[in-house]
Amino acid sequence: MRIDPADVPALERGVALLGSGGGGETVTGAMLLRARLAAGGEVTLTPAGDLPAGARVVPVGLVGATAVFDEKLAGGGEFRAAVAAIERWTGERADALMSIEVGGLNGLLPLVAAAELGLSYVDADLSGRGLPRLDQLSLAAVGRGLTPAALAESSGQVLVLTTGTAADVERTARAFITSGGGWAVLALAPIPAGELAGCAMPATTSAALALGSRALAVGDSPDRERLARATGGEVLALGRVIEVSRWQGPARHGRAGFGRGSVAVSDHATKSLLRLEMENEYLLALRDGRPVASTPDVLAVLDRRTGAPILCDAVRHGVEVAVLRLAAAPFWTHPARLPVLAPRAFGIDCDPVLS
Amino acid sequence: MTAVTLRALLALPEWAQSVRVLAGTAGLGREVRDVRPSPGPAPDHPVTQGELVVVAGPMRPGDWRIDALLRRVADGGGAGVLLPVDDLLEGTRRLGDRLGVPVLVTAEAPLERLVAARLALAEPELDRAELLLATHEALTDRLRPPEEIVAVLSGLLRAPVALLDDQGGVLAGESGAAGLLRPGEPVPQRIELSDGVLLAHPALLPSASRPALWLAVRLHGTAAARAGVVPPALAVAAGAVQRWLLAHRLELERDARSRSALLGDLLRLDAEPDADLRRRAADAGWRLGGWHVGIRIGTPASVDNVARGADVARALRGEGIDAVVVEHGDGWTAWTTFAQEPVAGQVRDLAARLRAAHRELGRSVGAHMGVGRPHPRPEGLAATIAEAGDAARLAATRPETGHFLHVDQLGMAQLLLEWTRTDTFEPAARALLAPLRELPGDLVRTLAAYLDAESSLAETAAVLGVHRNTVAARVQRIERVLGVDLRRRDERLALHLACRTVILADEHG
Repeated sequence: MRIDPADVPALERGVALLGSGGGGETVTGAMLLRARLAAGGEVTLTPAGDLPAGARVVPVGLVGATAVFDEKLAGGGEFRAAVAAIERWTGERADALMSIEVGGLNGLLPLVAAAELGLSYVDADLSGRGLPRLDQLSLAAVGRGLTPAALAESSGQVLVLTTGTAADVERTARAFITSGGGWAVLALAPIPAGELAGCAMPATTSAALALGSRALAVGDSPDRERLARATGGEVLALGRVIEVSRWQGPARHGRAGFGRGSVAVSDHATKSLLRLEMENEYLLALRDGRPVASTPDVLAVLDRRTGAPILCDAVRHGVEVAVLRLAAAPFWTHPARLPVLAPRAFGIDCDPVLS
Repeated sequence: MTAVTLRALLALPEWAQSVRVLAGTAGLGREVRDVRPSPGPAPDHPVTQGELVVVAGPMRPGDWRIDALLRRVADGGGAGVLLPVDDLLEGTRRLGDRLGVPVLVTAEAPLERLVAARLALAEPELDRAELLLATHEALTDRLRPPEEIVAVLSGLLRAPVALLDDQGGVLAGESGAAGLLRPGEPVPQRIELSDGVLLAHPALLPSASRPALWLAVRLHGTAAARAGVVPPALAVAAGAVQRWLLAHRLELERDARSRSALLGDLLRLDAEPDADLRRRAADAGWRLGGWHVGIRIGTPASVDNVARGADVARALRGEGIDAVVVEHGDGWTAWTTFAQEPVAGQVRDLAARLRAAHRELGRSVGAHMGVGRPHPRPEGLAATIAEAGDAARLAATRPETGHFLHVDQLGMAQLLLEWTRTDTFEPAARALLAPLRELPGDLVRTLAAYLDAESSLAETAAVLGVHRNTVAARVQRIERVLGVDLRRRDERLALHLACRTVILADEHG
């Protein structure tokens, strides 16, 4: 499926919804994609099954503070540098790119990169939604590990991690990013297309595009039912944000923890209180004190009028919102992989509540 | 049982300064039954009805588990939560208000609040035990009259206590509660008043279906909070009243027996009483001289005459009648004495007041009353009492006179005839004449006619229209069958009455 400039808003909306409040601001990514397409770039979503089984697919994505990415734009060569580094280290040529994370900014940037590098883009990713940590990627969840991995930082440094656990990669990447420009492009070792079925989530970009176009089609200020029908999700609340509180989360691996917070939404119809616990993503929803939804399901907070998803770090008091729950990819609800994204993986002592 | 509200806990000295209510104010009246610690905001036990969850460990005011805790408290019917934080999220406050779960916070050690609250919960138990012991010590060392029991209990409870009779009338102590008690329910009672509560405990006599007395205490204002503490002490005091009643009754019964014996001796008099009898009458305070008017009050066998004697005396006194009352058979025998022969007006006035007294007595005891004519001197006492007894027996069968009869209203002959129509006489009469009725020859009518004709065979034969020899033969048969000798006046009289009764009854029946 070829991506047309007209598809960009729908894709942007779709990946933003799947970000579950995280995954980074998508505006810049969408702008870059539109610019690339306008400049004659071509992006085609290639189903993994259409590639020869031996085709090398390199998962790429931006890691680090996506907010900084908006301020400190890509120099232009980061994707190329990261992919080149992993090609050199593995001795294999990349035939195609895929995204490490469909939710948020990384649902868009790898498409730009594929156009830039003249590679195919495989319609698949390693998250199925927005995820905060590299050691939660599906590759890690199925035990394949992330190494070797290459990181290209915006000021020109390139780092290749040859061995180490997924947790090591996560920790080292964070340290590298913090000491550098705030973000870096990650490229993982090429995966043979024939193996993607066992370790990646298929057709997620096209699904995001479909979700986005349905979400856009409902128009302004949809009611509960229309919104639920269009997105295939469940509307947990339709009301006003009465409180947003934020605090510093517990430190992890000797580094300061992610910022945490909670959002309280007063539902207009039922007067019930919906409380969302968040880190980089919305993780848990309680209605009147009772858990009603949790990660790995996607929890999205939408601007009540425009339907645009509101990121965790952008939600504020007084906004009229709809809170939406979208079912997790089946990959994550498998009992063996559920603990990777269950609330306890985020330090929230609560059993997962799935749709 | 123990009823301590959150509001009451907030008034504890350990709580007053350090605990604030941040949400769920509407639920502060909830009863706290248990106070349990929880190491964190997620209790390791299910929240139970009336439980106040005290979170002991340090916690973040924004912790989502506080919200989940409020939900668990609401679902479990808990009383509220006490958290070691100084503030809450707005959402959590709203949730507390929404669920009606009081959220209390303290900046100081929550476990100290918990200890104070547990002591407060146990306090009513301690209070109850202490009060019970004190009541027991004060009342059970010896027998005390009810007035003293009321005074002692009132002192212990620091509240007005009253002893009420089975009509709710106040016998001792003070109480505005007389009309509130439900005397028909012989169980401990608790009656809510606008300004407090009335607690009452019955003092029962064995084998009596209704309590003889009630002990009642009225708790006003703040004292009403002790309503759960007082009943056991009240029960102990009611037990003391009961013991007094039992002991008192023994005396009453002894007394009643000696009075009844004295009365029996007086009624058997057929000459001047001897010195010993006069002495016993004087000791009992009875006047033998003057003109006596006998009064007989009969009751169903189920009435406890000994215990009720006081009621009779009171009813008579209430009408200004100074009478001696003696428990006697199923009821009471009484008389009042005039110094001079009473004139007709005095007798009528006495009868009217006796009727009123009878009505008053009828409120509590179903009784019939008969009144005799005035008779002088000790032997006249027996006569008037006998008349009263006859009148009372008649009164029992006469609802139309309100079960009250005064002999003056009847000619004596009529009275006697009426007497033969009582339930006791008629069956006896039938039994007496039964052998005659089984034989041919209309023997009952023959006998009646014979006796009416003053034992004249000729007149009887004329009345019956048969030959005098037939009458003679029938009379002989009657004497033989009944085994009587009609020449003897007693047998003649008895048979005459029996015939009249049976024939009259058959004609009316």
